[in-house]
Amino acid sequence: MDERKKILDVKNLDITFKTSAGPIHAIRGVNFDLYQGETIAIVGESGSGKSVSAKAAMGILAGNAVVNCGEVLFNYTDEKGTPEQVDILQQDIDWIRKNINGKRIAMIFQDPMTSLDPTMTIGKQVMESMIWHYKTPKKEAYDRAVELLKEVGITDADKRMKQYPHQLSGGMRQRIVIAIALACDPEVLICDEPTTALDVTIQAKILELIEMTQKERHLSVIYITHDLGVVAKVADYVNVMYAGKIIETGNVDEIFYDPRHPYTWGLLSAMPDLETDDDRLVTIPGSPPNLLHPVKGDAFAPRNEYALKVDELAEPPMFKITETHSAATWLLDPRAPKVEMPEELKKRIARMKKEGNVNGKL
Amino acid sequence: MVNYNTEPVLKVEGLKQYFKSAGGYVVKAVDGVNFEVYKGETYGLVGESGSGKSTIGRAVIRLYKPTDGKIIFNGVDISGKMSKTDTEMLRTKMQMIFQDPMASLNPKKKVGEIIGEGLDIHKLYSTKEERKAKIDAILKKVGLAPEHFERYPHQFSGGQRQRVGIARALIMNPDLIIADECISALDVSIQAQVVNLMKDIQEETGSAYLFIAHDLSMVKYISDRIGVLHLGHLLETGTTDEIFSNPIHPYTKSLLSAIPSPNPAVEKNKISLTYDVREAGIDYTEGTEHLIDGTHYVLGTDEEVAKWLSE
Repeated sequence: MDERKKILDVKNLDITFKTSAGPIHAIRGVNFDLYQGETIAIVGESGSGKSVSAKAAMGILAGNAVVNCGEVLFNYTDEKGTPEQVDILQQDIDWIRKNINGKRIAMIFQDPMTSLDPTMTIGKQVMESMIWHYKTPKKEAYDRAVELLKEVGITDADKRMKQYPHQLSGGMRQRIVIAIALACDPEVLICDEPTTALDVTIQAKILELIEMTQKERHLSVIYITHDLGVVAKVADYVNVMYAGKIIETGNVDEIFYDPRHPYTWGLLSAMPDLETDDDRLVTIPGSPPNLLHPVKGDAFAPRNEYALKVDELAEPPMFKITETHSAATWLLDPRAPKVEMPEELKKRIARMKKEGNVNGKL
Repeated sequence: MVNYNTEPVLKVEGLKQYFKSAGGYVVKAVDGVNFEVYKGETYGLVGESGSGKSTIGRAVIRLYKPTDGKIIFNGVDISGKMSKTDTEMLRTKMQMIFQDPMASLNPKKKVGEIIGEGLDIHKLYSTKEERKAKIDAILKKVGLAPEHFERYPHQFSGGQRQRVGIARALIMNPDLIIADECISALDVSIQAQVVNLMKDIQEETGSAYLFIAHDLSMVKYISDRIGVLHLGHLLETGTTDEIFSNPIHPYTKSLLSAIPSPNPAVEKNKISLTYDVREAGIDYTEGTEHLIDGTHYVLGTDEEVAKWLSE
């Protein structure tokens, strides 16, 4: 094994949005890192801050966002081949547009219909970034675009180059979006709910395509999703977000087979797997907090049946469980009463492990 | 338990719904579909986008005029021109819950007014107090508080809004509720809350559900029987168990293989099956319904079904 090379390091990120209703404290101290060739997933409900974290990493935050503190350190090699490190948050917008967006960090958005320009041919859209970033001659860009379309599994690539987005199906459109993202050979690919708008059958194909290109190009990928099935399929490392904080982080086996945070327990139990035959689904009561109001103590406490007194007073720090696995819950404090995960979840994990062993051998 | 020996609440026979589009093309959104829904039962319709699942829901509640076929609801044929009493019966006894609660609730109306609108139209109360009492009871049933009566939709969270959508359907005491992707727009933890609520209500009131969704794991969890749709044809139908443990049609198989399971060890090694009608060489219009066992039917020609069964 080669030594892992760190590409992206997000440290203590803290972001507030100014809105007419008052400041919304959307990101409250987020840390994560990304190594070359690996895939991390950021999981959470809507409003948990998962998209904002990724947008900050790419320097495309909305105009009303205020970065209170934090660093986004990005390691890359420049055109001459010298390794460089920059803090993306400290760079001005022109520099980011020229050097980061679409060139070194590319993004795939949720809805392919809104992320493609309906008035532009597909060929033009795939070639656009190459011509803009690298001043590639048109002929060469055209040939490369055809290659890219073939790579993402589009048949009749030559014909498609002249077509418009509305002439293609949803799955095909998302393949075009992927081709555009790959056009400048980026080092990091951010996928923001890449399959939410697609059908299940197409979803699996798109995920397999992203995985394949990742292996071929040695890409580092950040997945933003709320779908734990997607996470299980693609991720090496998982960050679970809640109310603007990462509350549990670990490798994929640790999160799925040994979760420690009550919110992760809830998320895992709330999704019916195909074996669930109990009469009721386990639910997380209530709804996520409104970040317009300052959070006191543990943001998850009001919905947590295992909440302790201390949860109302102080925010729990990250407790380290293994080298890669840690969780922010007071339940892991040595002074806390010993609480085990719910019985149903235990049974399900045992079942998953068994099933994994059976199928894993195939 | 659902009693399958009674008359079904809803019986759909050979339903066809065509749309004329520009240039003289006819889109056959639904092309000859048969199924039944019984009292107290949940029938899940699954399929990819464009398969015609929402069109069926909309044709059944008569937002469209069906091109051909019969829809029998509570023993009354509602597919053609309806008498005034039949229309009245349909508009009260069949209700719909929509996908996006924000888009389906009038932003300028208070929640109490939205829920009470059906009562007003059909004059189902004699005094103001009775109306208020009915709305309060429904609010309580779906897990909202009486003070929510005076609020507007934007003051609620997504899950609460969908509860309002459910309350609006429930207040008419319907025999059949059509739930068109009613949980797809919600977060995972909220989805579970809404699904549990729907199950509780069904137990209490005995309404039947026509549950339209693309999320197979939820459909499996909530449905008694399932119908798999593709390109306007019902390819396979049967109890949840029959479909999931013994899928026959290659499309059903590919659909089942594509469900992401929250289990990394399984998911990482899985390669989903591909299915393409043209490649598979199946012409849905030539197929007939074949009984596999129990209530399990598959659409196909004799040779196709024999081939699938031997695989």
